[in-house]
Amino acid sequence: MLNETINCSPAIWQPMLQQQVFRGLLDSFSYPGRITPCADHETSACLAILIALVDGETTLADPQQLLSSALWDRLETRPCVSEKAAFILLDGAQAPDINPCIGTLDAPEKGATLLLRVSSLRSDLTGNHSLHLSGPGIESTTSIRVDGLHPAWITARKEWVSAFPLGVDLLLCDQHHFVAIPRTTQITMGGAA
Amino acid sequence: MNENYELPLEDAGYSFGFLDEYAKKEVRRCILKAIAIPGYQTPYASREMPMGRGFGTGGLQITLSLIGFQDTLKVIDQGSDDSVNAVNLRQFVQLTCPGVDVTEKTEEASLLQSRHRIPEKPLTQAQILILQVPYPDALVVVEASEARRKIMHAEADYSRLLVKLYEDIVHFDEITISHRYPTRINGHYVIDPSPIPRWDVPKLHQSKALVLLGAGREKKIYAVPPYTLAEPLVFDDIAFRVEDFRDATGVRHACRCCGSTVSFLDEFSNDQGMVAYQCSDSAYCEEQQQTGSAA
Repeated sequence: MLNETINCSPAIWQPMLQQQVFRGLLDSFSYPGRITPCADHETSACLAILIALVDGETTLADPQQLLSSALWDRLETRPCVSEKAAFILLDGAQAPDINPCIGTLDAPEKGATLLLRVSSLRSDLTGNHSLHLSGPGIESTTSIRVDGLHPAWITARKEWVSAFPLGVDLLLCDQHHFVAIPRTTQITMGGAA
Repeated sequence: MNENYELPLEDAGYSFGFLDEYAKKEVRRCILKAIAIPGYQTPYASREMPMGRGFGTGGLQITLSLIGFQDTLKVIDQGSDDSVNAVNLRQFVQLTCPGVDVTEKTEEASLLQSRHRIPEKPLTQAQILILQVPYPDALVVVEASEARRKIMHAEADYSRLLVKLYEDIVHFDEITISHRYPTRINGHYVIDPSPIPRWDVPKLHQSKALVLLGAGREKKIYAVPPYTLAEPLVFDDIAFRVEDFRDATGVRHACRCCGSTVSFLDEFSNDQGMVAYQCSDSAYCEEQQQTGSAA
């Protein structure tokens, strides 16, 4: 897990900065595996995403209590158990022990968005934690190196997304970047390519 | 739009982009899910806009939820930057998003909102195409109940749509759909790609740019992500074909303005009552006229 605490700058509460964070998100969902810088460098990427996306109309689960109560107050969102939440914030270094909503056949958009905090996201493939990705949004294949992600997440996710259109969408976040892995992306784990 | 129209300011000023931030957040959440489930019609709470539903409010709400100071917007209606719908929507965005640049050149735009056409010039990864959609569901011609259509979509059951295409072949020896051609995205959902001509359907396939489709009246948003399969619905032995602009002798018509023989042409009668052909994409036509490089 990241040693840094989740914190934010005052500027991130301004709509124009949230718009830029969202455009980064749009880019990362369009091109899975693209390591996207968070528009605000003084805010933890996972928190900037939450600030840009959640409000009282949606639900957030924080089973590991990563957010301070002051942040909960400002997010103005509804706390929820992880089985039902639209957004779930988790530490990627710990093995998954949740059972997220994967949507229903007539409402697959109800499948949760999982924000996993990891220690670093890199495009250089040294070390043995690389993910090879293919699927919509990826021209052929792309590879990223993720440090601080428990390998059991990849296995659990494979199960959750096994029956398209059902599934969950992942956002891997280090301190200043994020990578989206929507349910359509195929992942193979491997060593250095 | 009335030139003297001003946004009412009695209670509080409107925020950048007209929509309030909660509305934008909802549209944004919906767009991300639409990309994650390619071709799925994601429901959203379409807002009242100061223009009638059916005038591009779905596309407009997407544009307003995306746009920021760094953007350059192009708005087109049937290929033209100067027709009524395009001018209205562009003026509305300029009114509500001060500081945003607009352009008529396809390559300069970061956001392109379009009604019924995809530009001739290939789009890039730095661009997003937003299409206005009147009827989002390709299955509506064979099934009236939305609840049942949702089940058919979920199961990727398009047999009745294929029967409809088959009946066309039996009656006319050809699939007679001229626009809104049902297109299968990533091997699962079949979408109505909005009333783009057949000519534009292949541009959705493995597109470099993200394509977002918004239906304001029907309250749906769906997406064709970049580098994604987009296959028009056909049979193994009847290939999909686009519009054919050749005359009886087999010679392809050329645009009367720029002379292009590779663009999508509009057919109309000129002042002498003769049939004339002209590029539908006005920005492309103008560029061809200036560079004189039309093939």
